[in-house]
Amino acid sequence: MTLKYAYFPGCVAQGACRELYQSTAALTKALGIELVELKKASCCGSGTFKEESRLLEDTVNARNIALAEQLNLPLLTHCSTCQGVIGHVDERLKEAQQNNPAYIEEINGLLQKEGCSPYHGNTTVKHLLWALVGDFGLEELQKRVVLKLSNLKCAAFYGCYLLRAQKSIPFDDPYQPESMENVFRALGATPVYYRGRTQCCGWPLSSYATTESFQMAGKQIQDAIASGADCLVTPCPLCHLNLDSRQPEVEKVIEQKLGLPVLHLPQLVALALGVEPKELGLDRHIVSTRPILEKLGW
Amino acid sequence: MQVIFKIARHDQNSGSWYQTYTLEVEPGNTILDCLNQIKWEQDGSLAFRKNCRNTICGSCAMRINGRSALACKENVGNEVARLQDLMTKVASSEIEEPAQKAIPEITIAPMGNMPVIRDLVVDMASFWNNLEAVDPYVSTSARKVPEREFLQSPSERSQLDQTGNCILCGACYSECNAREVNPDFVGPHALAKAYRILADSRDAETETRLEKYNEGTKGVWGCTRCFYCNSVCPMDVAPMDQIGKIKGEILERKDAQASRSIRHRKVLVDLVKKGGWVDERKFAVLVLGNYFRDIKGLLELGPVGLRTLLRRKLPFDFEPSQGADQVRSLIESVREKAEDKEHK
Repeated sequence: MTLKYAYFPGCVAQGACRELYQSTAALTKALGIELVELKKASCCGSGTFKEESRLLEDTVNARNIALAEQLNLPLLTHCSTCQGVIGHVDERLKEAQQNNPAYIEEINGLLQKEGCSPYHGNTTVKHLLWALVGDFGLEELQKRVVLKLSNLKCAAFYGCYLLRAQKSIPFDDPYQPESMENVFRALGATPVYYRGRTQCCGWPLSSYATTESFQMAGKQIQDAIASGADCLVTPCPLCHLNLDSRQPEVEKVIEQKLGLPVLHLPQLVALALGVEPKELGLDRHIVSTRPILEKLGW
Repeated sequence: MQVIFKIARHDQNSGSWYQTYTLEVEPGNTILDCLNQIKWEQDGSLAFRKNCRNTICGSCAMRINGRSALACKENVGNEVARLQDLMTKVASSEIEEPAQKAIPEITIAPMGNMPVIRDLVVDMASFWNNLEAVDPYVSTSARKVPEREFLQSPSERSQLDQTGNCILCGACYSECNAREVNPDFVGPHALAKAYRILADSRDAETETRLEKYNEGTKGVWGCTRCFYCNSVCPMDVAPMDQIGKIKGEILERKDAQASRSIRHRKVLVDLVKKGGWVDERKFAVLVLGNYFRDIKGLLELGPVGLRTLLRRKLPFDFEPSQGADQVRSLIESVREKAEDKEHK
């Protein structure tokens, strides 16, 4: 049976990390996964809507979830932050259906007033990582590998929202997750364990507290390098912005050269499936991905 | 059942090392029971804090298998089950069998973000000083009522239930990612308490407090939203959510000119109202350049802007969501509703 999802692209994959949009498309095509893009969806708020009001975060994301419900498909994210925000809203609203139906009525009232379809709570919200591990399956993925990543030491960088925003997450312990590492193993790569893999990249502070933000990013990158990583691999484009796009500034703050390539999760998986680096936008990173490609014989 | 306790030890003369102890315990034994057993039967030199044994006093917080928790709340059975579950998660991929350990090993370490005095005992001075820094007392107006006690309705009191549960154990502070890089940040425990006071119907210092918590990155804007505090709190105080509520009070009172942290929030919602998605070309320019008013801020963007341009990473175009109009009026309706509630 073909796997099919209502695809929520998010802002960053359509903006400063278009290589993520591109590589998710390439990966799902290679795996025969069908994506129906939610063209009417909107930004999840990345945690900021909730700071204005919980009702704002819940209503805007109830609308996003309802768009997937209309298609009768699970909503697929490829960003830890989108996943944590929308996934947590879905959890909260499903709970409210049981113990605070008046709140659901309030939200659906707002949605219907604007001509949006109401929230029913009958779909799921899942990250691409979880779709790979849970729906596609790692054994199946392993069978599709044409370029074994045997020489590669990969350090996962999960992103806070993927691990700790939801009350419960499938597959992983929020403090000692394994699903990224299991994907690495399936591709023939060696996972690198280091403390930073479950820590914050500092992105939320980067616009106004740059020193603190870059110190945080620097600490995690240094930790990965010290543990022998050839690259970081992240399921979160916001982490990617702080760890890759801002890495030259991070180097200045911590006064140390780093030069550690940072790959998006679908880029790494697609490489093992034999997709060409150019198709994955690997030439558009700030830190050159050349050393990784050379290791893989490209 | 047999378990191994691997404990991070430290003293001023010998430095730091790991020491292991093998114990015969019941699954229902708490981690604290086990530490007591070690101290009383095997090694009297092991130092740790303890008191009530009942998740009330908050004395025995430490890192148990990689996250801060109360030794008196967690038990051996759950910890071992968690470790075994982790092993099956790796093994179930059937790609690489990890070496199964015959006797389960529970790792214990002192809390983070505070200097270790000895073994599992940390110096909590900064924790207490930072709590004091938010002025965690209901203001004196309550004490100016001479005739009778100060009344509070059950619904007013219920505003304090969640934050009132804090036992000041330090688990949140120990894991706080912002605190690790910012010695000025007062920490999640202090800000959860700050919200507890703000939400107290007897307190009369709301505006002064909000100004204080709004300062630089000492207060609420220092939080990096790593979710660790919410995640490890043994009392479900959800400090990050309380920080968010304080931010909400500040955002209601300030406009985008007030500071870059506030502008970041306002610009994001404005751009979503315009395009459904955030137009990232504009986001950085508006937040850092303050709508072209802050030349220094704009210049800060220079290097990253140039780099991303050269790498063809910075997008030239922006495609608004097909639902942008709907989202705009939805956000406006939510805001109207919120205002109505305020007035009521």
